Amino acid sequence: MRTLLTAALLGTAISAAVAATPAPPNAYLYIGWPNDGQVVSSGKPIRVWFGLRNMGVAPKGVKYPHTGHHHLLIDADTPGPGVEIPNDRQHLHFGTGETETTVELTPGRHTLQLVMGDDQHLTFEPSVQSKKITITVK
Amino acid sequence: MDAAGMRKPLILLLAAVLLASMPVLARTPAPRNAQVYFIWPSDGTTVGQAFWLRMGLRNMGVAPKGTDIANTGHHHVLIDVDLPENMNEPVASDRQHLHFGAGETEARIELPPGRHTLQLLLADKDHIPHDPPIYSKKITVTVK
Repeated sequence: MRTLLTAALLGTAISAAVAATPAPPNAYLYIGWPNDGQVVSSGKPIRVWFGLRNMGVAPKGVKYPHTGHHHLLIDADTPGPGVEIPNDRQHLHFGTGETETTVELTPGRHTLQLVMGDDQHLTFEPSVQSKKITITVK
Repeated sequence: MDAAGMRKPLILLLAAVLLASMPVLARTPAPRNAQVYFIWPSDGTTVGQAFWLRMGLRNMGVAPKGTDIANTGHHHVLIDVDLPENMNEPVASDRQHLHFGAGETEARIELPPGRHTLQLLLADKDHIPHDPPIYSKKITVTVK
Protein backbone atom coordinates (compact mmCIF):
# COMPACT_ATOMS: atom_id res chain seq x y z
CA MET A 1 0.00 0.00 0.00
CA ARG A 2 2.78 2.38 0.99
CA THR A 3 4.64 1.71 -2.27
CA LEU A 4 1.51 2.47 -4.26
CA LEU A 5 0.92 5.68 -2.38
CA THR A 6 4.53 6.75 -2.83
CA ALA A 7 4.32 5.97 -6.53
CA ALA A 8 1.10 7.97 -6.82
CA LEU A 9 2.62 10.92 -4.97
CA LEU A 10 5.77 10.75 -7.07
CA GLY A 11 3.67 10.66 -10.23
CA THR A 12 1.81 13.80 -9.17
CA ALA A 13 5.02 15.58 -8.28
CA ILE A 14 6.67 14.67 -11.57
CA SER A 15 3.71 15.67 -13.75
CA ALA A 16 3.40 18.98 -11.89
CA ALA A 17 7.10 19.64 -12.34
CA VAL A 18 6.90 18.93 -16.06
CA ALA A 19 3.83 21.10 -16.65
CA ALA A 20 4.96 24.21 -14.78
CA THR A 21 7.25 26.84 -16.26
CA PRO A 22 10.22 27.45 -13.97
CA ALA A 23 10.24 30.92 -12.43
CA PRO A 24 13.04 33.18 -13.69
CA PRO A 25 15.81 33.47 -11.10
CA ASN A 26 15.29 36.35 -8.65
CA ALA A 27 11.94 37.29 -10.20
CA TYR A 28 10.30 39.83 -7.92
CA LEU A 29 6.67 40.85 -8.23
CA TYR A 30 5.10 43.59 -6.15
CA ILE A 31 2.22 46.05 -6.09
CA GLY A 32 3.77 49.48 -6.67
CA TRP A 33 0.53 51.26 -5.79
CA PRO A 34 -1.52 51.30 -3.60
CA ASN A 35 0.53 50.63 -0.48
CA ASP A 36 -0.32 47.99 2.08
CA GLY A 37 -2.77 49.46 4.58
CA GLN A 38 -3.71 52.35 2.30
CA VAL A 39 -7.10 53.99 2.76
CA VAL A 40 -8.68 55.04 -0.55
CA SER A 41 -11.91 56.86 -1.29
CA SER A 42 -14.88 55.01 -2.70
CA GLY A 43 -16.69 56.10 -5.82
CA LYS A 44 -13.61 56.58 -7.91
CA PRO A 45 -11.39 54.06 -9.67
CA ILE A 46 -8.28 52.95 -7.83
CA ARG A 47 -5.15 52.80 -9.96
CA VAL A 48 -3.05 49.71 -9.35
CA TRP A 49 0.39 49.44 -10.88
CA PHE A 50 2.30 46.25 -11.25
CA GLY A 51 5.98 46.12 -10.31
CA LEU A 52 8.17 43.38 -11.76
CA ARG A 53 11.92 42.90 -11.59
CA ASN A 54 14.25 40.37 -13.18
CA MET A 55 11.46 39.21 -15.45
CA GLY A 56 9.61 40.60 -18.48
CA VAL A 57 6.02 40.97 -19.60
CA ALA A 58 4.56 39.17 -22.59
CA PRO A 59 0.94 38.86 -23.72
CA LYS A 60 -0.86 35.54 -23.27
CA GLY A 61 0.11 32.87 -25.76
CA VAL A 62 3.59 34.36 -26.27
CA LYS A 63 6.39 31.97 -25.42
CA TYR A 64 9.49 34.05 -24.66
CA PRO A 65 12.10 33.17 -22.03
CA HIS A 66 11.64 34.69 -18.59
CA THR A 67 8.33 36.42 -19.31
CA GLY A 68 4.74 36.13 -18.17
CA HIS A 69 1.63 38.22 -17.80
CA HIS A 70 0.05 39.82 -14.77
CA HIS A 71 -3.04 38.68 -12.85
CA LEU A 72 -4.61 40.74 -10.09
CA LEU A 73 -6.34 38.78 -7.36
CA ILE A 74 -9.02 40.61 -5.40
CA ASP A 75 -10.11 39.08 -2.09
CA ALA A 76 -8.75 35.73 -3.22
CA ASP A 77 -5.86 33.43 -2.40
CA THR A 78 -3.17 32.48 -4.88
CA PRO A 79 -3.76 29.10 -6.48
CA GLY A 80 -0.23 27.78 -5.85
CA PRO A 81 2.52 26.83 -8.32
CA GLY A 82 1.94 25.26 -11.71
CA VAL A 83 -1.84 25.61 -11.89
CA GLU A 84 -4.21 27.50 -14.15
CA ILE A 85 -5.32 30.86 -12.76
CA PRO A 86 -9.12 31.15 -12.72
CA ASN A 87 -10.66 33.88 -14.85
CA ASP A 88 -13.41 35.68 -12.97
CA ARG A 89 -14.16 38.93 -11.11
CA GLN A 90 -11.69 38.01 -8.39
CA HIS A 91 -8.92 36.99 -10.79
CA LEU A 92 -8.32 39.67 -13.40
CA HIS A 93 -6.16 38.67 -16.36
CA PHE A 94 -3.93 41.11 -18.20
CA GLY A 95 -3.34 39.06 -21.31
CA THR A 96 -2.37 42.01 -23.54
CA GLY A 97 0.69 42.67 -21.40
CA GLU A 98 -0.80 45.54 -19.39
CA THR A 99 1.33 46.77 -16.51
CA GLU A 100 -1.29 48.79 -14.65
CA THR A 101 -5.05 48.95 -14.27
CA THR A 102 -7.87 50.65 -12.42
CA VAL A 103 -10.36 48.81 -10.21
CA GLU A 104 -13.53 49.87 -8.47
CA LEU A 105 -14.18 48.26 -5.12
CA THR A 106 -17.06 48.36 -2.67
CA PRO A 107 -16.50 50.13 0.67
CA GLY A 108 -14.69 48.02 3.25
CA ARG A 109 -11.46 46.06 3.52
CA HIS A 110 -10.10 44.27 0.46
CA THR A 111 -7.01 42.28 -0.33
CA LEU A 112 -5.00 42.65 -3.52
CA GLN A 113 -2.28 40.33 -4.76
CA LEU A 114 -0.47 39.90 -8.05
CA VAL A 115 0.50 36.57 -9.54
CA MET A 116 2.30 35.93 -12.82
CA GLY A 117 0.98 33.46 -15.35
CA ASP A 118 2.93 31.91 -18.20
CA ASP A 119 1.85 31.79 -21.85
CA GLN A 120 -0.93 29.37 -20.86
CA HIS A 121 -2.10 31.24 -17.70
CA LEU A 122 -0.35 28.68 -15.49
CA THR A 123 1.46 29.91 -12.40
CA PHE A 124 5.22 29.43 -12.31
CA GLU A 125 7.19 26.94 -10.23
CA PRO A 126 7.81 28.37 -7.67
CA SER A 127 4.92 30.78 -8.08
CA VAL A 128 5.92 34.37 -8.87
CA GLN A 129 3.55 36.35 -6.68
CA SER A 130 3.49 39.59 -4.74
CA LYS A 131 2.83 40.12 -1.09
CA LYS A 132 -0.90 40.19 -0.43
CA ILE A 133 -1.83 43.70 0.64
CA THR A 134 -4.95 45.01 2.37
CA ILE A 135 -6.58 48.30 1.51
CA THR A 136 -9.61 50.02 2.96
CA VAL A 137 -12.16 51.70 0.74
CA LYS A 138 -14.02 54.48 2.53
CA MET B 1 12.28 64.05 -75.45
CA ASP B 2 9.33 62.14 -76.99
CA ALA B 3 6.45 60.58 -75.05
CA ALA B 4 8.08 57.12 -74.94
CA GLY B 5 11.29 58.61 -73.55
CA MET B 6 9.34 60.42 -70.84
CA ARG B 7 7.62 57.28 -69.64
CA LYS B 8 10.66 55.54 -68.16
CA PRO B 9 11.81 58.35 -65.83
CA LEU B 10 8.20 58.82 -64.75
CA ILE B 11 7.88 55.15 -63.80
CA LEU B 12 11.18 55.30 -61.93
CA LEU B 13 9.99 58.39 -60.10
CA LEU B 14 6.73 56.70 -59.15
CA ALA B 15 8.63 53.64 -57.95
CA ALA B 16 10.91 55.82 -55.85
CA VAL B 17 7.93 57.63 -54.30
CA LEU B 18 6.26 54.30 -53.51
CA LEU B 19 9.42 52.90 -51.92
CA ALA B 20 9.96 56.03 -49.88
CA SER B 21 6.43 55.87 -48.53
CA MET B 22 6.55 52.17 -47.63
CA PRO B 23 8.14 52.51 -44.17
CA VAL B 24 5.35 54.93 -43.27
CA LEU B 25 2.77 52.36 -44.26
CA ALA B 26 4.60 49.71 -42.25
CA ARG B 27 4.46 51.58 -38.95
CA THR B 28 2.34 49.90 -36.31
CA PRO B 29 -0.68 51.94 -35.19
CA ALA B 30 -0.98 52.84 -31.51
CA PRO B 31 -4.15 53.79 -29.63
CA ARG B 32 -4.63 57.57 -29.48
CA ASN B 33 -4.88 57.46 -25.68
CA ALA B 34 -1.70 55.41 -25.17
CA GLN B 35 0.73 56.99 -22.75
CA VAL B 36 4.22 56.04 -21.64
CA TYR B 37 5.66 57.73 -18.55
CA PHE B 38 8.18 57.44 -15.75
CA ILE B 39 6.76 56.00 -12.55
CA TRP B 40 10.22 56.55 -11.05
CA PRO B 41 12.28 58.67 -11.00
CA SER B 42 10.18 61.79 -11.43
CA ASP B 43 11.43 64.93 -13.13
CA GLY B 44 14.01 66.79 -11.07
CA THR B 45 14.77 63.92 -8.67
CA THR B 46 18.23 63.39 -7.21
CA VAL B 47 19.24 59.75 -7.42
CA GLY B 48 22.22 57.57 -6.53
CA GLN B 49 24.66 56.31 -9.16
CA ALA B 50 22.61 53.12 -9.50
CA PHE B 51 18.85 53.22 -9.32
CA TRP B 52 15.77 51.29 -10.41
CA LEU B 53 13.93 52.98 -13.22
CA ARG B 54 10.24 52.07 -13.48
CA MET B 55 8.46 52.40 -16.81
CA GLY B 56 4.74 53.11 -16.86
CA LEU B 57 2.39 52.43 -19.76
CA ARG B 58 -1.31 53.16 -20.07
CA ASN B 59 -3.87 51.88 -22.56
CA MET B 60 -1.33 49.56 -24.19
CA GLY B 61 0.50 46.38 -23.26
CA VAL B 62 4.11 45.25 -23.12
CA ALA B 63 5.37 42.50 -25.41
CA PRO B 64 8.88 41.23 -26.16
CA LYS B 65 10.49 42.21 -29.47
CA GLY B 66 9.26 40.18 -32.41
CA THR B 67 5.75 39.81 -30.96
CA ASP B 68 3.06 40.74 -33.46
CA ILE B 69 0.07 41.57 -31.26
CA ALA B 70 -2.05 44.73 -31.64
CA ASN B 71 -1.66 47.52 -29.08
CA THR B 72 1.63 46.25 -27.65
CA GLY B 73 5.26 47.35 -27.77
CA HIS B 74 8.47 47.33 -25.78
CA HIS B 75 10.24 50.04 -23.84
CA HIS B 76 13.37 51.98 -24.78
CA VAL B 77 15.15 54.37 -22.44
CA LEU B 78 16.91 57.31 -24.09
CA ILE B 79 19.75 58.76 -22.03
CA ASP B 80 21.14 62.25 -22.69
CA VAL B 81 19.82 62.19 -26.25
CA ASP B 82 16.89 63.60 -28.22
CA LEU B 83 14.16 61.53 -29.81
CA PRO B 84 15.17 59.98 -33.14
CA GLU B 85 14.60 62.32 -36.05
CA ASN B 86 13.37 59.53 -38.28
CA MET B 87 10.58 57.61 -36.59
CA ASN B 88 10.33 55.26 -39.58
CA GLU B 89 13.58 53.54 -38.66
CA PRO B 90 14.36 51.13 -35.83
CA VAL B 91 15.47 52.80 -32.60
CA ALA B 92 19.27 52.85 -32.39
CA SER B 93 20.85 50.33 -30.03
CA ASP B 94 23.75 51.85 -28.10
CA ARG B 95 24.64 53.19 -24.68
CA GLN B 96 22.22 56.10 -25.11
CA HIS B 97 19.35 53.96 -26.39
CA LEU B 98 18.64 51.04 -24.08
CA HIS B 99 16.33 48.36 -25.44
CA PHE B 100 14.07 46.28 -23.25
CA GLY B 101 13.20 43.65 -25.79
CA ALA B 102 12.45 40.98 -23.20
CA GLY B 103 9.40 42.92 -22.01
CA GLU B 104 11.07 44.43 -18.96
CA THR B 105 9.19 47.21 -17.18
CA GLU B 106 11.96 48.11 -14.73
CA ALA B 107 15.68 48.52 -15.18
CA ARG B 108 18.70 49.05 -12.97
CA ILE B 109 20.43 52.12 -14.42
CA GLU B 110 23.93 53.30 -13.59
CA LEU B 111 25.02 56.82 -14.52
CA PRO B 112 28.01 59.00 -13.70
CA PRO B 113 27.46 61.94 -11.33
CA GLY B 114 25.88 65.04 -12.83
CA ARG B 115 22.70 66.02 -14.64
CA HIS B 116 21.20 63.56 -17.12
CA THR B 117 18.09 63.47 -19.24
CA LEU B 118 15.91 60.41 -19.55
CA GLN B 119 13.08 59.76 -21.98
CA LEU B 120 10.99 56.68 -22.75
CA LEU B 121 10.08 55.65 -26.28
CA LEU B 122 7.91 52.67 -27.09
CA ALA B 123 8.57 50.66 -30.24
CA ASP B 124 6.96 47.77 -32.06
CA LYS B 125 8.09 44.21 -32.80
CA ASP B 126 10.73 45.54 -35.23
CA HIS B 127 11.97 48.29 -32.86
CA ILE B 128 10.20 50.95 -34.96
CA PRO B 129 8.18 53.60 -33.08
CA HIS B 130 4.40 53.40 -33.39
CA ASP B 131 2.12 55.70 -35.34
CA PRO B 132 1.70 58.07 -33.57
CA PRO B 133 4.99 57.59 -31.70
CA ILE B 134 4.46 56.87 -28.00
CA TYR B 135 7.07 58.67 -25.93
CA SER B 136 7.28 60.21 -22.47
CA LYS B 137 8.20 63.68 -21.37
CA LYS B 138 11.98 64.08 -21.26
CA ILE B 139 12.95 64.32 -17.60
CA THR B 140 16.13 65.51 -15.91
CA VAL B 141 17.70 63.73 -12.95
CA THR B 142 20.74 64.65 -10.91
CA VAL B 143 23.03 61.77 -10.08
CA LYS B 144 25.24 62.21 -7.03
